[in-house]
Amino acid sequence: MSVQAAVVGIGQTKHAKCRDDLSLAGLVREAAIRALEDAGMGWSDIEAVIIGTAPDSFEGLMMPELYFADALGCVGKPIMRVHTAGSVGGSTAVVATHLVESGVRKRVLTVAFEKQSEGDTTWGLSGGRSGGVGAGGYFAPHVRSYIERSGAPDYVGWMVAVKDRQNALKNPYAHLQLENITFESVKESPMVWDPVHRLESCPTSDGAAAMVIVDADTAKVAPTPPAWIHATAIRSELGWFPGRDAVNPQGGQDCSADVYKQAGITNPREELDMIECYVPFSWYEPMWMENLHITERGDGWKLTEEGHTAIDGDIPVNCSGGVLSSNPIGASGMLRFAEAAMQVRGQAGDHQVPNAHLALGHAYGGAAQYFACWVVGSERPES
Amino acid sequence: MAGNEWTLEFPYRRSVGPIVGEFLTALRKGELKGARTASGRVIVPALEYDPETGEPVEELVAVADHGTVTSFAWIAEPKRHQPLDRPFAFAHIRLEGADTDLFHLVDAGSEEAMSIGMAVEASWRDERDGSITDIAAFVPTGDA
Repeated sequence: MSVQAAVVGIGQTKHAKCRDDLSLAGLVREAAIRALEDAGMGWSDIEAVIIGTAPDSFEGLMMPELYFADALGCVGKPIMRVHTAGSVGGSTAVVATHLVESGVRKRVLTVAFEKQSEGDTTWGLSGGRSGGVGAGGYFAPHVRSYIERSGAPDYVGWMVAVKDRQNALKNPYAHLQLENITFESVKESPMVWDPVHRLESCPTSDGAAAMVIVDADTAKVAPTPPAWIHATAIRSELGWFPGRDAVNPQGGQDCSADVYKQAGITNPREELDMIECYVPFSWYEPMWMENLHITERGDGWKLTEEGHTAIDGDIPVNCSGGVLSSNPIGASGMLRFAEAAMQVRGQAGDHQVPNAHLALGHAYGGAAQYFACWVVGSERPES
Repeated sequence: MAGNEWTLEFPYRRSVGPIVGEFLTALRKGELKGARTASGRVIVPALEYDPETGEPVEELVAVADHGTVTSFAWIAEPKRHQPLDRPFAFAHIRLEGADTDLFHLVDAGSEEAMSIGMAVEASWRDERDGSITDIAAFVPTGDA
């Protein structure tokens, strides 16, 4: 029997194109201090720190856990780094959760970050050579395959792009604040990776996210309502192998099926009050709705088109503005997990879904090959 | 790739933050500064956070550009990528006013001239850009 775990503190930075007011250490510390304050804790309350970031080549920082030990109050304590590409913020939170659930630790700080302004992600993704295709170039053919196989109208991607940016206007931490974005402006924005327009793509951001994850006894006396962690799951697969379905990867299907099974969810569309999933390019919303078993295969786009994924829809998706509005890559997965937790704590401010009790946080990374999910709820799960 | 020329790229920048930024700016002016922690310890090179407590350091204070060697390794046959093309020492140097050692090099001419406890002083470059190599080397006091 494992220990139940809960989130009692959440912090994030103001995400921006360039946070050159802060060092990398200062950036992670800004998020961490906010999480500690939310939890009513100090550095001395924390027993271990789990950090995550995208590949070292993105900002040229090797072994960041060593550099950050002082900034994260971690001297004399265990610190470990998790490394699963763009999904890392999610899997970092999962590793922190497992430390508590296993009974090894009672109070764990988990932090994820990226300072994209310090490096060149496309260069980093290309093995250190200029002229690589970058993430957009890699994913664009999968987007086209999805459109082709599902018969989705082209404007569904534009709808997601507008919806998520309008949600971001309700989130003071979001990087992009595009007050005048319209369906037309998305459609007319430059085609960067055919069929993905510029305004259908995520920005490059600096930012960090942090959470304090604790055992049930600590959660019961927390100053603010905890987000109880009902289930966590991780899957990965090779980025290339014969017969791989890169549009609807098996790893993602298995990851979400596993997390629902653990959480006792049999109808995720009905039982989840909101979903915060990793959508760096607009079409990934309908693609993931299918991969996450919210709709049947081929129907994901209808959910978007009919407005169900809007913040006032019956299955709101990415109320924070999502990756489309803020993309500090290493932190982006944790921001999804944190938003799900904020929602079930009633802590999401203007982007709060009324009466959100059960939420899914999701992250993916690499060549859509690393997956992480958690289900969090306002109620303590039955043991 | 024989016959092709390939340039190694390192396309990174750093936002160093207010504390390390002030330390590097001082180097450009030919000055050394240390970070003073709440307990009064002066750390050189400057860090943003006290390694003992994790709290932000209090302020930067001036330290001398001379001190004593606390340990060293003599490099009798410098490799192509090393900072000097003649024998030198990598050394730990305790600057006057600092409570920690700075890792740098000592250009003393011969191994016989090196000893733990010897007095050294910074030999600054004329053209400085705000990096630790603005100090070309430390040299035995009186040799600069």
